[in-house]
Amino acid sequence: MTTTTIDDAVLARVRAAAGSVPDPELPVVTLAQLGMVHDVLVEGDRVVVELLPTFSGCPATDMMGRDVQDAVAAAVAEVDDVGVRWLFQPVWSTDRISAAGRARLRSFGIAPPTGGGPVSTIERPAGAVRLPVAPGTGPGDPDAAPDAPVTCPYCDADDVVEDSPFGPTPCRAAWFCRGCEQPFERFKPL
Amino acid sequence: MTGPTDAPPRDDVAAAWSASLLPDLDAPLTRLVLAVADDELVTGHRAQHWTGVAPSLESDLAFSTIAQDEVNHADVWYSLLVDREADDARQRIDALGLGRTPSQYRHAQLCELPPGDFVWSLVRHWAYDHADAVRLGALAGSSDADVAGVAQKLLREERYHLLHADQWFDRLTAHAARGRDEYAEALRDVLPRALWLFEPIEGEEELLDTGLLPVSSEQLRDEWLDGVVAAVAAVGLDRALPTELRPSYDEPGGRRGLHTPDFTDDVWPEMTALHRDHPGASW
Repeated sequence: MTTTTIDDAVLARVRAAAGSVPDPELPVVTLAQLGMVHDVLVEGDRVVVELLPTFSGCPATDMMGRDVQDAVAAAVAEVDDVGVRWLFQPVWSTDRISAAGRARLRSFGIAPPTGGGPVSTIERPAGAVRLPVAPGTGPGDPDAAPDAPVTCPYCDADDVVEDSPFGPTPCRAAWFCRGCEQPFERFKPL
Repeated sequence: MTGPTDAPPRDDVAAAWSASLLPDLDAPLTRLVLAVADDELVTGHRAQHWTGVAPSLESDLAFSTIAQDEVNHADVWYSLLVDREADDARQRIDALGLGRTPSQYRHAQLCELPPGDFVWSLVRHWAYDHADAVRLGALAGSSDADVAGVAQKLLREERYHLLHADQWFDRLTAHAARGRDEYAEALRDVLPRALWLFEPIEGEEELLDTGLLPVSSEQLRDEWLDGVVAAVAAVGLDRALPTELRPSYDEPGGRRGLHTPDFTDDVWPEMTALHRDHPGASW
């Protein structure tokens, strides 16, 4: 194939194929729903899919890259050579997760991240000295507007409590619902 | 079972193979990245000590996640030194993390010390992660776009580490009956060593001139120190502050490749064992 056959329509199909890849650890959501597909480019005789990494500690990252290459190869016959490029700019954050992605996470039993607000609901004592952290770096900014309330993904109750900001994977925190008395997980705001 | 007697020792084969994959370790970007990444790598390895043996499930999850985060943060930093789209990118990143000789590592000695007891680990965690946050805040303005992007990203993730460290700081310094004296004792031991996180990076002048490092180690130290002194004073533990707050750094430390047996005979051999035994293995 030559590059002349790779027009915008083909690139749109490449983007769709890349975006349709499920997260290996949270297969209810796709890379598109997570907001990870940044751009799709033609470079010489190859197509490059630019992806934004989520949590740096995510062990699924390498697998996602391979899955994207396989998905594009399977779905778009016009493309012979597809590469994946992980970008550090723009910086991915949970604000990029789409409404559909949030709904899917919730259906899977994971309370989705909500925009802005504190990283954790656990408050520090009055008078505690806050050491400097560069401001304006996103959720968790102590001066940001309050977060939307977290509700139980099972019973929708808002009588929920944070057990620990650390959970079973780098992207999930451990919470408990007093309404249905079930532990649940929350996707950490980043 | 024995191999051919004229075969070179396994470690020599592995070392030569790794060395062939390493970039120029004296390049400016490399000197900057290794100082930051090696701190993270060794901190991650020491944090994982608590997996399975921490005093509560929550603290076990916390240190395990922090360990996983820090090792992967190191991995991200190392990746800035290789062609990330090359077929052998993974091997080259692994060679940086696991294929150097002990004296080629540039982490501060604080990071390599054994975990001590749980309170000592929490104090190192508090001192280190606040130092890392100050450094990342500066690197977010680096003249290198990738360095700046990685720093901005990691700052978001590190908030969770700071949260954990601060919660334990609050909890232990508030209880006169339990934890406060132990926390103060650990601060006395950790803080003088933590000052060496700010030992200047080799050739730092050049890094400052090019803007790769926008703020000098000395300025970063003072920024960190202001916060640490205020936080410690606010809970009435001034007595735990070191008497010498601004060391001369005349003697070499970890940033110039000088490490203790806690690294050369403990962390390094264990951390690199698989890499040395199976050069090029992937999983």
